[in-house]
Amino acid sequence: MTVQTMRAWPMIAIAALTLGALSGGAAYENARPRTGVWREIAWPFPRDGWPAGRAFRCGAASCGDEIEVYVRPKIGFCNCDSGVADDDEVDRVADLDLMSPRFVPLKAGDVVRVADMPGRLRSYDLKMPTGVQHAAVGIAVSRRCDLLVAVAQGTGEAPRVQQVALEFLASADMTRWMTAAMDGR
Amino acid sequence: MGGRVNWAVFLSISVFVFASGAHAQSQVIGAPPEASNMKLVGTNDLQARSAYQPTIHHQGDRWIAYIGHHGGSDDNPDPVNPQTGKAEPNGTSIVDVTDPAQPKYLRHIPGQEGKYESGGAQMVRICDGKDLPKGDPNAVYLLRTFGSEAHEIWNVADPANPVLITRIAGLKDTHKNWWECSTGIAFLVSGAPDWRTRRMTQVYDLSDPAHPTKIRDFGLPGQEPGSTGAVPTELHGPISTGPAGNRVYFGYGTNKGGFVQIVDRDKLINGPKEPTPDNLRYPEISRLAMSALNGAHTTFPMQGMPIAEFARDKDGKTRDIVMIVDEAILNECGEPRQMVWFADVTVENRPMMISSYTVPEASGNFCERGGRFGSHSSNESMAPVFYKKMAFIAFFNAGIRALDIRDPYHPKEVGYFIPSITAATDKRCVTIDGKDRCKVAIQTNNVETDARGYIYIVDRANTGMHILELTGTARAAAGLP
Repeated sequence: MTVQTMRAWPMIAIAALTLGALSGGAAYENARPRTGVWREIAWPFPRDGWPAGRAFRCGAASCGDEIEVYVRPKIGFCNCDSGVADDDEVDRVADLDLMSPRFVPLKAGDVVRVADMPGRLRSYDLKMPTGVQHAAVGIAVSRRCDLLVAVAQGTGEAPRVQQVALEFLASADMTRWMTAAMDGR
Repeated sequence: MGGRVNWAVFLSISVFVFASGAHAQSQVIGAPPEASNMKLVGTNDLQARSAYQPTIHHQGDRWIAYIGHHGGSDDNPDPVNPQTGKAEPNGTSIVDVTDPAQPKYLRHIPGQEGKYESGGAQMVRICDGKDLPKGDPNAVYLLRTFGSEAHEIWNVADPANPVLITRIAGLKDTHKNWWECSTGIAFLVSGAPDWRTRRMTQVYDLSDPAHPTKIRDFGLPGQEPGSTGAVPTELHGPISTGPAGNRVYFGYGTNKGGFVQIVDRDKLINGPKEPTPDNLRYPEISRLAMSALNGAHTTFPMQGMPIAEFARDKDGKTRDIVMIVDEAILNECGEPRQMVWFADVTVENRPMMISSYTVPEASGNFCERGGRFGSHSSNESMAPVFYKKMAFIAFFNAGIRALDIRDPYHPKEVGYFIPSITAATDKRCVTIDGKDRCKVAIQTNNVETDARGYIYIVDRANTGMHILELTGTARAAAGLP
């Protein structure tokens, strides 16, 4: 260790402590659930077999990365007894194909409950038509013979997209709307 | 004076229109059936079980109706079989219809426990052992689904005492099979556990029903095991024209995103069998995409139809036609209209829709009657009595509809029959403001004809089976005496 290095040591220690504090703060920020600022946008897909649903966007400033969520009921599209039985069913029904037919599941899905309806969710790598890779989360829940599907996609990591989307869907306004939509209102 | 007469005429017409409208809006027990050019010959209550596929078989000197059932209802999951005194899950009804005015219920074979689409034994096909290449010539074989988990073959040579022969199990779903009696080749609508779709095709050689031999699994690229990305619409059912026609017409989509897939039967059976995307594409000749708003429940082929209007044309006098029947799913018009379509597939790689048919809703205020309104299925018998001349379409609360299809470019309704409801007719509900609102209406689900010209319709809402015949101009259009 040279004299010059010895003189620099306190500065290095302070810089390290500062960096550590900053990155710790950032990590805390990422881990902490925060409510994004969501804006409703026009349903961005052409007409298909189901009536259009509702689409929402949360900007990077609020959600860390730009994330969009599309949600709609599919009335009469579910096995009345078994509900959303497996991951294949999420692949089939969760509207991922509206964005791109090319998606690959990242892992096995999980059970989920949205607006008090049981179902499953699964995360995917989604290759957009532009060639850009996005993270996506498909969600399908059911009540009797009807489905409610939601899909979220963004440029960030899938766990973050999932966390933000579920938080948004759990909001009082969305829960109220999804419940009403399943009643045909 | 003239004014008074006009006023009286106006009043009379108003009363008549009001009365007709009121009558048309809801069915009541005890009211007569609504009919035009069709008449009731006989009925059987089918033990008040929700009915799907009827198949009518000429068996020796008898005529036997085999009827597949959906699962039971919330109110009555396992109706009591009066013959055994026991509650039995809905399965297969066997009815002697030799005298169609006095059908005799012979036997109920219980199906899979479960309600609605999750139980029962919806589908049934029949082949004589003497027609199957390796069948027992004394046997009559019944191929049926067993709920969502299996296909079964029974010997029904004595229809009152069926005997189970074999079972193909381990499935996650089943549905509307097709079985060629002359070859034994069966196109089984199955849910193979490792496929990404609920319903695909398993091609089997059932020429020896006691020893089923699997030929291959078949579906659309994207449905096969290990694939990723979008999953194409699931299969509803195929109809094969056998070795002579060498085509299988597959209907996908039920009530949404439908299409007809035209497949080379020989390539399907004898081509490469590993379910790779290339191998799945190999036997396909073409697809006819429908609107995303409609699906394909039944794809009924009529190859080589002579078209009177084209008789003097130097080319194209006969056409290959496929009649496509969508299935309505939701009660009280909760979806786009499901109806009937006719496609000209003469040029197979350029199939084209040429016409359509629906019951006019206003003719019976069908959206308000309760239950489903829209098409579901057609007769599938190719017996000469009606083939390429008349088609019968099950239209749920609008009953059965007889179409003159001799010019498939301009199909024309020539008769209908809407059975009366009974105490057994089950309710159908919609959700209004979070609460169920229920109505009772006939739900004509499926239909089949026999070679004698009788029409058998069965009800999804537990009203049983009605045996009908054509009358008047409809009978004349069919060329019946």
